[in-house]
Amino acid sequence: MSPWGYLLFTAWAAPMTILCKGQWLASLALVEAAFGLVWNRRGLRLLGHPRFWALILTAVALGPLLIGEPDVTLGPLRLSQEGFTAGLEMAGRAFTLALAFNLGVGALSLSEIVAVFDRLGLRGLGFATGLAMNLLGTLQEMATVTLQTIRLRGGLRRPWMALRLFLITTVANTLRYRDEIVSAASARAFDPNKSPALPLPLRWGDLWLTVALAGYTGVLIMGRS
Amino acid sequence: MKSYTVRDWVTIGLFGALWGVVELTLGSLLHAIYPPLADTFLTGVVMGGIGVAVALMGRRFVPKRGSVILIGVVTATLRLLSVSGVVVGPVAAILMESVLMEIVLWIAHVPRWPAFALGGALAVGWNLPHKFVMMRLIYGKDFLTVYNKVVQDGSQALGLDASLALLILAILLLVRLVVGAISGWSAWQLGDAVARRLGPREGDR
Repeated sequence: MSPWGYLLFTAWAAPMTILCKGQWLASLALVEAAFGLVWNRRGLRLLGHPRFWALILTAVALGPLLIGEPDVTLGPLRLSQEGFTAGLEMAGRAFTLALAFNLGVGALSLSEIVAVFDRLGLRGLGFATGLAMNLLGTLQEMATVTLQTIRLRGGLRRPWMALRLFLITTVANTLRYRDEIVSAASARAFDPNKSPALPLPLRWGDLWLTVALAGYTGVLIMGRS
Repeated sequence: MKSYTVRDWVTIGLFGALWGVVELTLGSLLHAIYPPLADTFLTGVVMGGIGVAVALMGRRFVPKRGSVILIGVVTATLRLLSVSGVVVGPVAAILMESVLMEIVLWIAHVPRWPAFALGGALAVGWNLPHKFVMMRLIYGKDFLTVYNKVVQDGSQALGLDASLALLILAILLLVRLVVGAISGWSAWQLGDAVARRLGPREGDR
């Protein structure tokens, strides 16, 4: 499937998450899982993250405590059944929305995102995003070196001055680094406004996905009416 | 877009990366310590304050319309590509903050420090409605539930009685606006200091 298909999936699944309730939300989660199994198994690794489950279970756990009138006593806790149902739905919504992003947009590589920006006429933005992604590590290292230098010179004894120094030095070093990048780009006569956009053709998978999503939407509309 | 030079795009990429570094390190840490459902204040104010300062400093070095939104889009894309599982809230906040800052700078036409301070205040102030919007979108919570939660948390943090709900909300909003205004003003001041340090070439821009 092409990047357009993954983008379509997220653009379709995110609003569906907000519109669906109850059993339809559960069916949406199943549709997303099926999409993951067919087109993006790596994206399903999210289900193995403890942090992800911590967020989902927090929603389930807080519902009976915060929502509705308490009607059940469980040891020292007074819980609400209505809150439990609401908590389950909240958790379901968080689950499906996280999957929608992780299986769709999350499946795209950096080069595919750059290509999408290019095809949408935002050529420089693709270049800037690629640059930012590749420089994350360098900037992190620059900031760490600056912080260590300030610390070794005893600058942390005056925290506000240290913070100001840290920010100015980090940004100034970043901008000096910019000049090197611009020089390298100029030496190669590179201009993002003039360079040709990368081709990003549609594939058969995109068609099947569109048909499947349209079919599910139709079933949903008929089921709700 | 055509008016942007290679130098401008590189600067946008670098400031997007700087904001991205903060989001991916400090932001991920704070979101892990204070899950979105439990925290109503700290994460948003800290991340908003720093993000506003970085984006507006970027604007000082790319003084063109739309540059703050572009820095925000780069940062949001980095956040989307990050391995951390829960990204919807932060991505929406980053985009909305950059749009609000850009609107103020666009209205100001030739931005000076008051526009930076106002843009920063609105961007960080967005944190309060953001809570309501995201809780509705992600968890399907109604306005009243989120309102009660915000008031309860605020009453504990401020040591005020929960019956003073409007006062609590006003204080929570005011703190955000003040933090944002200070961040915006700091971005202007720090931008000047950086330009001075880099020499006359940057000062001319």
